[in-house]
Amino acid sequence: MGRILILNGSPRAPKSNSKRYAGLFMDCCKADYAEITKTNHRELCARTGEYTDLVLAFPLYADGLPVTLLDFLKTLEAEPPQQKPTVSVLINCGFLEYAQNHTAVEMVALFCRQNGWSFGSVLEIGGGEAILDTPFRFLAAGSIKKFARSVEKKRYARFHTTMPLPKSMFLKASAAYWTEYGKKYNISKEEMQTMQIEQT
Amino acid sequence: MKLILSDRPLDLTVKNPDQIKVIDLSALKIHNCVGCFGCWTKTPGRCVIRDDAVTVYPLIAQSDSVIYVSRIKYGGYDSIMKTMLERAIPVQQAFIHLVDGECHHVQRAVAPKQAVIIGYGASGPKEQALFRRLVERNARNMNFENFQVLFSSQEELESLVRKEAAKWDAS
Repeated sequence: MGRILILNGSPRAPKSNSKRYAGLFMDCCKADYAEITKTNHRELCARTGEYTDLVLAFPLYADGLPVTLLDFLKTLEAEPPQQKPTVSVLINCGFLEYAQNHTAVEMVALFCRQNGWSFGSVLEIGGGEAILDTPFRFLAAGSIKKFARSVEKKRYARFHTTMPLPKSMFLKASAAYWTEYGKKYNISKEEMQTMQIEQT
Repeated sequence: MKLILSDRPLDLTVKNPDQIKVIDLSALKIHNCVGCFGCWTKTPGRCVIRDDAVTVYPLIAQSDSVIYVSRIKYGGYDSIMKTMLERAIPVQQAFIHLVDGECHHVQRAVAPKQAVIIGYGASGPKEQALFRRLVERNARNMNFENFQVLFSSQEELESLVRKEAAKWDAS
């Protein structure tokens, strides 16, 4: 059995859903965890060489990799460890369709191909902003368990999950979620729906 | 309004600078999005980080024609352009609707766009193909009515951008 390092590439790593997903992963198998910041790239690059598996946990951001992760991968390309672990991906997006994550997964796979890293397992989560606080949490937890086992056993595979809801119901639930979110700041749904964008 | 958004300086002269804005993102100070959702839930339509990005995303929203110029990295936009695109989410609402049957954020007052995306520095056809798929995804999230993806070497980049911008003058 190898050693696993989870790196959180979310722009809001300490408060992120990616952190919660990483926590579920660590409930299933032993792994170390670290968050990518602007200043710790070189330290993390050196650390990756101590592990057999690297799990990148991050959200889909503007259809691709968050800049936080992109910049880290560029440093990893420039300063690779002597022993390169296998790279797996644990990605979530707020949309119901887990498949919206495909492009970002392909970007990590391309990084691996271009730089001689092995590519491992993938878990794509749809509805990832909310699923852990819904009755469908068990689906996310179950998928993470399978994903974690595949990394641990080095039987790499692709997995996906989302909330099993009709899209119309997802849109309603999502609207309710964001409306409640705005209420925390005394912002009404109508205010959140403003069409105005600040002017230059 | 028309907008040329580039991740590097371009030697360009436009005939009508009131109607065509040229922005060199590499000359601006733009911090990473911190994912606070403030532009959706605290100050809707306005980013809480008050740096140069707040002068750019309103122009993105207003423009009906855009040319984006970016280095390609791992099949996506390299950091300068990607940072700006992430900081442009105040132009969207938190709320989700269906676009072609798929979930996407509702746009605020964002003009539908004719978009030309010019990528340079791709390692080969596979990376170009991935970049093309990314722009296809962007089209749904960024209100592109039509889009073209073009690839260029660094040497030929300026002449390609000039050629595409000249089409605006001619139209």
